[in-house]
Amino acid sequence: MKSKSKLSAFTSFLFVLPYLVMFILFLVAPLIYGIYISFHDWNLISPIRPFVGFENYTQIFTSGTSENKIFLNGLTNTLQFVVYSVPLLVVIGLLLAMLVNSLPSKIRGFFRTAYFLPYAISVSIIAVLWLWILDTNSGLMNNALQALGLNAIPWLTKLPYAWISIVIATVWWTIGFNMIIFINALNEVPEEMYEAADIDGATGFQKFIHITLPSIRPIMIFVIITSTIASFNVYGQPYLMTGGGPGDSTEVLLMGIVQQAFQLRQMGVASAMAMLMSLIMISISVGQFLLSRGKKGRGNEHA
Amino acid sequence: MFKKSLLSMATVIGIAAALAGCSNSDGENESADSGSTQTVSFWAPFSGPDGPKMKEIVDEFNSSQEDVKVNLQIVPQSEYYTTIDLSLNGQEDSPDLMIMHGDQIATYANQNILKDMEPILGDTINKEDYHPTAWNGVEVDGALYGVPLDIHPLMFYYNKDMFEAAGLDPEAPPTNREEFVEMAKQLTNAENGEWGYAVPTLWPQQFIFPTIVYQNGGELISDGKVNYASDEAVEALQFQSDLIFEHKVSPENVQQDGELTLFLQGKSAMHMNGPWMLNQFEESNINFGVAPVPQLGTEQDAVFANSHNFVIPETVQDEAKIEAITTFLNFAGENGQAWAESGQAPVSKAVYESDEFNEMTQQPQVAKQFDYAQFAPAVENWGPLSDPLYSAVNEVLLGSMEPQEALEQAQEEAKSRLQ
Repeated sequence: MKSKSKLSAFTSFLFVLPYLVMFILFLVAPLIYGIYISFHDWNLISPIRPFVGFENYTQIFTSGTSENKIFLNGLTNTLQFVVYSVPLLVVIGLLLAMLVNSLPSKIRGFFRTAYFLPYAISVSIIAVLWLWILDTNSGLMNNALQALGLNAIPWLTKLPYAWISIVIATVWWTIGFNMIIFINALNEVPEEMYEAADIDGATGFQKFIHITLPSIRPIMIFVIITSTIASFNVYGQPYLMTGGGPGDSTEVLLMGIVQQAFQLRQMGVASAMAMLMSLIMISISVGQFLLSRGKKGRGNEHA
Repeated sequence: MFKKSLLSMATVIGIAAALAGCSNSDGENESADSGSTQTVSFWAPFSGPDGPKMKEIVDEFNSSQEDVKVNLQIVPQSEYYTTIDLSLNGQEDSPDLMIMHGDQIATYANQNILKDMEPILGDTINKEDYHPTAWNGVEVDGALYGVPLDIHPLMFYYNKDMFEAAGLDPEAPPTNREEFVEMAKQLTNAENGEWGYAVPTLWPQQFIFPTIVYQNGGELISDGKVNYASDEAVEALQFQSDLIFEHKVSPENVQQDGELTLFLQGKSAMHMNGPWMLNQFEESNINFGVAPVPQLGTEQDAVFANSHNFVIPETVQDEAKIEAITTFLNFAGENGQAWAESGQAPVSKAVYESDEFNEMTQQPQVAKQFDYAQFAPAVENWGPLSDPLYSAVNEVLLGSMEPQEALEQAQEEAKSRLQ
């Protein structure tokens, strides 16, 4: 018996192994290397890279330095984007999933693919598409608005429109992923529960609140956390659509980090910024997780 | 920098992910095989239509003689300097010869990464064979760190059909500010969405704004100090802002590449951009002309330019290899007509003074600007240092700030970056 369970533990380990190797090679190792770099004055093209302790970090937190300004401005803008985009990514993702699920099964596959398709396109194509649609002076959207006798809107050059445009493009681009996950979650909800509710005379809305939502809660948490992380990593859309403008009001944190790393070649400061960014992301994710678990205690009957 | 279009810029995004381990893939450095043939590994960022042209020169050289073999390795523009950094940084697999933009040379030279070319020049490579301005682009603190290939200044493009429709001579583009503004007004028909000159608010202001500042007789860096808020700079920005809000020859709220879209749609009659746009304009169906940039400032002829140069890493020490490299550089200088076919203007006299070159459409117009071309200030990291400046230009041209105030703010911010 003992050897059998050892064997099964070993085979299980074999199954996990490929992932573990990848995880260590491409995630843990670079992460540790990044932490190491962040404690050095690490110029990419200088062979001398002295250890500087926490200097890169204090530099970022000392007000008045350019690193401080780049980090704080980038962080504020990134957080704004997270706050604007995550609720929409979750709510619209769920609504789309319910919409697609309620379609006749013959055309369901088509719409599921159609909504998912943009997710497979690279961000540069997405940005060019939306640039053409939203172009203030010759874009599709403003031409349509003007044909209706409305004023043209500076979609990409004035606030708040610049953020609205970036969020719209992002939602259109990535919503398919959340939708697919929600569709699977919805299909997992036992049909009998709805039937029982029907017998009790529950309305559609009541069924949604009391059956659907609690049943898909774990998936909902997963979607919220992954959407938050993805939104934190926003880069391509503002870089390509607004160039960080107007001024530097849509310049997100990753743009600043990439500039520090590859234009200024200051890998030390860039790594320190990246570490701080990861810390913030991890704290938010853990916070979201704990918050949702705390709530779960009350409605445990579906677990 | 040599940004071609939005699409090519987009690839930059890939870099963020590919931080670790993106060099070491090109094992072309067989060192001095068989003794008789010298192998020179040569890196260039020409991933556009200019790549095959450089390849042509290299192939021609390789087949013209037996002693030296040049291996051209094209690295995509967006990853070029990162790849160079990583290879130089590992001190292995680094090239023997590479192309470097003029505005990058100061940064690398200050790290003692580039070979001082002075000992090589004069002996086998004759400085007089190149346009004198080109040498300014490779000079850092009096030393020369490269052999120039081309200068790419800002160019002036205009839509001949729109000129004709407005009753203007399509063969007489504007040459100074008065003509420019006058023509722009005549070409503008705001009701129809036709504009004289759509003013960009982002790229390529990095070429346009310094051009006007230099034409005003100003500088952006004076004696190593940031000088963004000089009278000349404020005037240059005020002038551009006036084109939008006073003269109304440009639409407001021009977005990233918006002015380019309007020019390609035949809705903006005049356009300023780099000579690398030639291919794209030729493929579009606009009937365009190309000319030197008009004198939009008030003091002197000037145009902002960047350049491509051949540089040798300091790690290359072998005399025989250096001789092989200089043999190739001489050949490339004399046989650079192929490079001109990419739309660029080589600075070798053998090319730009030839009849064949002067019969081309755009290239002679580029060469006309050689005499007064000015380069980015020879400071480290000009790109990031000028970022606050272009944020200010952006704010002013979008109508949300006044030139003086915006430039002063940019100056303060850049100062904190210069430390």
